[in-house]
Amino acid sequence: MAASIIHTFYTLAKTAQKINETRGSNAKIRICAEYFRSLTPDKDLQLAAQFLGEGAFSDVSGKRASVGSRTYSTLAAELCEIDYEKVFKPSKTAVGSSSETIEMLLHNIPEARKKWSAEELTLQEVRYIFEQLYDVSSRADKQEILKKTWLRMSPLEVKYFLRIMGRGSLRIGFESKSIVSAIAKAYGHKVADVRYVHMITGSIGKTAVLAKHDQLEEAQFKLFQPIAFMLASPIESRSVDVYHHYVAEEKFDGMRCQLHVAGNEVKIFSRDLNDITHSFPEIVEFFRQRELPGTVLDGEICVYRDETILPFQLLQKRMGLKKPSKKVLNEYPTLLIAYDILYHDDQPIFEKTLTHRRSLLSELSEKHHFPITTQKDIQHEEHIEELFERALAHGNEGLMLKHKESTYEYGQRRKSWLKVKKPGGSLDTIMMYAHAGSGKRGGTYSDFTLGISVREDERYEEEFIPIGKAYGGYTDDELKKLNARIKDIIAEKYGPTLGLYPNIVVELEFDDIQVNKRTKANYTLRFPRFKAIRWDLAPDDVDTLKDVERLYEEKMNRERLKQAENPSFTFKKQS
Amino acid sequence: MTTMLKITKAGNHGILLPQLGIGLDYSGKQAEHVFVSHGHADHIPWKADAKVYATPATAAFMKLRGARNEVQTLPFKQSVETENAKITFYPAGHILGSALTFVESDYGNLLYTGDCRTPPSPASEGFELPNAEIDSFITEATFSLPVYRWADYEELKADITEFATSSLEDGFTPVFLAYNLGKAQEIMHLVKDLDHPVQIHGAGFKLCEVYEQHGIDLGKYETYDRETCQGKILICPSSAINNGFASNVRKKRIAYCSGWAAMESRRSQLTVDKLIPISDHLDFFELIALCEQLRPKMTYITHTPNPDVVKHYLDERGIKSQFLDTKVEQDD
Repeated sequence: MAASIIHTFYTLAKTAQKINETRGSNAKIRICAEYFRSLTPDKDLQLAAQFLGEGAFSDVSGKRASVGSRTYSTLAAELCEIDYEKVFKPSKTAVGSSSETIEMLLHNIPEARKKWSAEELTLQEVRYIFEQLYDVSSRADKQEILKKTWLRMSPLEVKYFLRIMGRGSLRIGFESKSIVSAIAKAYGHKVADVRYVHMITGSIGKTAVLAKHDQLEEAQFKLFQPIAFMLASPIESRSVDVYHHYVAEEKFDGMRCQLHVAGNEVKIFSRDLNDITHSFPEIVEFFRQRELPGTVLDGEICVYRDETILPFQLLQKRMGLKKPSKKVLNEYPTLLIAYDILYHDDQPIFEKTLTHRRSLLSELSEKHHFPITTQKDIQHEEHIEELFERALAHGNEGLMLKHKESTYEYGQRRKSWLKVKKPGGSLDTIMMYAHAGSGKRGGTYSDFTLGISVREDERYEEEFIPIGKAYGGYTDDELKKLNARIKDIIAEKYGPTLGLYPNIVVELEFDDIQVNKRTKANYTLRFPRFKAIRWDLAPDDVDTLKDVERLYEEKMNRERLKQAENPSFTFKKQS
Repeated sequence: MTTMLKITKAGNHGILLPQLGIGLDYSGKQAEHVFVSHGHADHIPWKADAKVYATPATAAFMKLRGARNEVQTLPFKQSVETENAKITFYPAGHILGSALTFVESDYGNLLYTGDCRTPPSPASEGFELPNAEIDSFITEATFSLPVYRWADYEELKADITEFATSSLEDGFTPVFLAYNLGKAQEIMHLVKDLDHPVQIHGAGFKLCEVYEQHGIDLGKYETYDRETCQGKILICPSSAINNGFASNVRKKRIAYCSGWAAMESRRSQLTVDKLIPISDHLDFFELIALCEQLRPKMTYITHTPNPDVVKHYLDERGIKSQFLDTKVEQDD
C-alpha cells in the first residue's frame, strides 16, 4: 500500500471551486463523489464532508467559531494595507460577498501578496484552527489566529475558509442534499439510504464514513440526539386535490420543539437543533412526572394561561432565558402540545405513516397524560374554512393539513404537510433605503428598508421612520424596474446603502407585529415581504405609526376563545 | 497659460471645453468641433451639428452603426488646428480606432482618454502617449476598485483557446459572449490559430470588414446562421443569448468575456459555464500606474461608480484629482 496521503485544505478549496464552476447538478455530484473517494483516512473523509456540508464544526457539536464579518474584514484591510472605510467597503459593495472580496484583494494587492505564502495546510490543521477560534472570545485574539492562518493560505483557501467558518452556504450551488447524493454515488448506495443515515446520525461526516464501509445499517437513531424537523409548505391557493387524504390541526402561534424523554431524563431541542432544555423548567418537570418510556415528541411550546393560548409575543419573554425567574415563570407559563411522535418503544418510527404514529401518540397521551393536538378529518372543501376560522378564534395562526399516509420526512419541506395561514396584515409603506444585495443578487439593490409616516405625529421630527426590511416578494421584472427607478431618487449614498427620496410606495405584507423598543417605531414586523409595488400611490397615502399601533392593539386584545369547547388540543388530566 | 481650462461634463458621456468650443464625445449644440474617441455607441455624438473628427476606423464604425454625422477623418498623430487649439489623436488600445485626444491651447494642454487600455488590445493600433507634461488629464475609471486586476494576457489567451478546444472535443458548441465591437473581434483574433470556423452575430459581423481593412487577421468567419451554427465557434453579445441565439443547439458551453466577469455573481446572473475576465479597459492598478506615470497637474475621473476610491489612491500618491460625473455603461 502506498504511504498515506496528506489531504490538504487547498484540494478541498479547489474542489469546491470546481463544483462552483461546473453547471448541472449531476456533473457537480460527480466531482464531489470523486473527491470523496480520493480521501483515504476516514478522519479526512469525515472532516471534508463536514466542511462542505455543515461548516467548521459538526452540527451536533453546537459549536460556532463566532467571528463577525467586521472582525475578518478589518483584518483583510490591514493585511492589504488599505483603508477599511474608503477602499474595502466599496469593494465589498461592488462584489456583493465579503469572502470573495477578500480573496480578490489578497490576490491583487501587491502589499498583501508579499505577505502570504501558500503552505498547503492539511484538513486536520484547519480543523485545529477552527477549534482555536472557538476557544478565544475577544476580537483581537480571533484576529491574531486568523492572521497567522491566512498568511499560510492562498486567497482561494481564505475564501472557502471564511465560508466554512461562517456555517452559511458555500455558494457553489451545492447544498447538503447534493452532498448526500455525492456520498451515495461515491460508494454505490441508494440516496434514500444515505439520507436516512444522515438524518439519524445528524452528521454528514459520519454518514460518509459509514457509507464508505458499507455500514449504513449500523447507524442508529439515538435518544437525546436531535434530528432535523419535518417542515411544511405553504398551501398554494388552498388547492388540495384530495381532501380526505389529509387531516387538519390548528397551527399554534408558538415555538416548534422536539422533546426527548426517558423516565426522569428530559431534553428539549429547538428547530435549529439547539438544546433549550434550561429555558423551560416547568415543561421538563411536567414530563419527568409522566414516567414515559423512551419517547421523542414533535410539538409546539405555547404560553398558556386561563385556558387560553396566548400570543407569540409573550412567549418571546421566555426564549433565550438561561434560567427564567420565578416571576417570569408565573407570568408566562408554558405548555408543550405534541403533534407527532418519532421514537416509540425503543425504536425510531419515522417510516410509519402519520395515521399509525398518531394512534401511538394518542394512546401514549391518554396513558401518561400530556397534551396533544386535536386532529380533525376533513369532510369537504368548506370544512377547511370552518376549521380555519375556529383556529383563528382560538388565537392560533391557522391550520396545518397533514397527509395521512406520509412518513416523517425529517429535514424536508414537501407537500405532505401544508400550512394554511392568514397574513398578519399589510401596510402601505414608503421605500426609504435600498441596500445592495449579496451573493446571487450582488450588484443590484435587492433589500429595502420600508417606512411608515409620522408626519402628523408630535412624537417625531421626521416625516417617515423605518418599520421593516424586506428582500422578497417581488418578481425579477419588478426588481429590475425598481432598480431603474431608484437611480432617479437617490438622496444620499452610504457605502452599500442608498438613501432615497420618498417616492415609491410598497404594500408590505407581514406575519405579525412585535414590540421592539430598540427601533425608532418601537415595533418590528415579522417576515415583511412585498405584496405589491403601488405605483398608483404617493407618499401621502402611506400608513402611519398610529395605524401600526392600532393593528398591534387589535391583535393583543383580540378575544381568544378559551380551550373549553372544541379545543385545539386534547389534554386528559390525571384524575 | 493665463487662465485654467474649463471642463464641464455634458450629457451622459460628453465633455465640453467651452472656452475652446470643443466637445469630446459630445452630442450637444455648444461645440463647433467635436472629437470622437472611439466607435462604441455611448461615445458617438449622435446629435452633434458640429464638425466631427474621428480616426479612419472610428469613422467607418460610426457609418456602419448608422451615425449620420459628416466625419472628418484624422489619422493618429496628425494634428488639426482650430482657431484656438491644436488637436491630435494617439492610439488608446481600447478597440480598433480608439484614440486618446490631446488638446493644446493657451489654456494649457489636456489629454482625454475616452476608453483606453494598456497594455493595448492586440486587435487595436496599440497605445501611445503624447510626449508632453500633461496639465489636465481626463481619464475613464470603469474598473475603479482594487478587486479588479486582469490576469496576465497570455493566461487569458490560453483560457479562451482552451475553452474553445475542450468544448469542441467534448462535442459542445462553444459560445463566447462578447460585445459586438472590439471584444468580439479580439476573441476572433485570439482563436484564429485554431483554424476552426467562427460565426459571429450579425451586428458584429458587419464591423469585421473594418478590422480586415486595417490589417487585423480575424481568421475564418461568417455571419451567424441558426441552421449551420452547431459545431462552430460562436460569438454574440450577452443580450442575444437569451433571445434565441443558437437556442436550437442543445449542447453548447457559454463563456462570458468581460471585465465584469471578474465577479462570481455574474455566473448565476447570466447562467454561463465560464467567466473570462478579459477587458477593454484598464484595471485598477493599471489606472493608478498610468496616473503616476503622467503625474498631471489635475486628473479628472469619469465613468465610475467609485471616484472616491481612485481619488483616495491618487491623494496618497500626491496626485491632484477630482470627479467629473458621468454615467457608467454596464455593457462595455
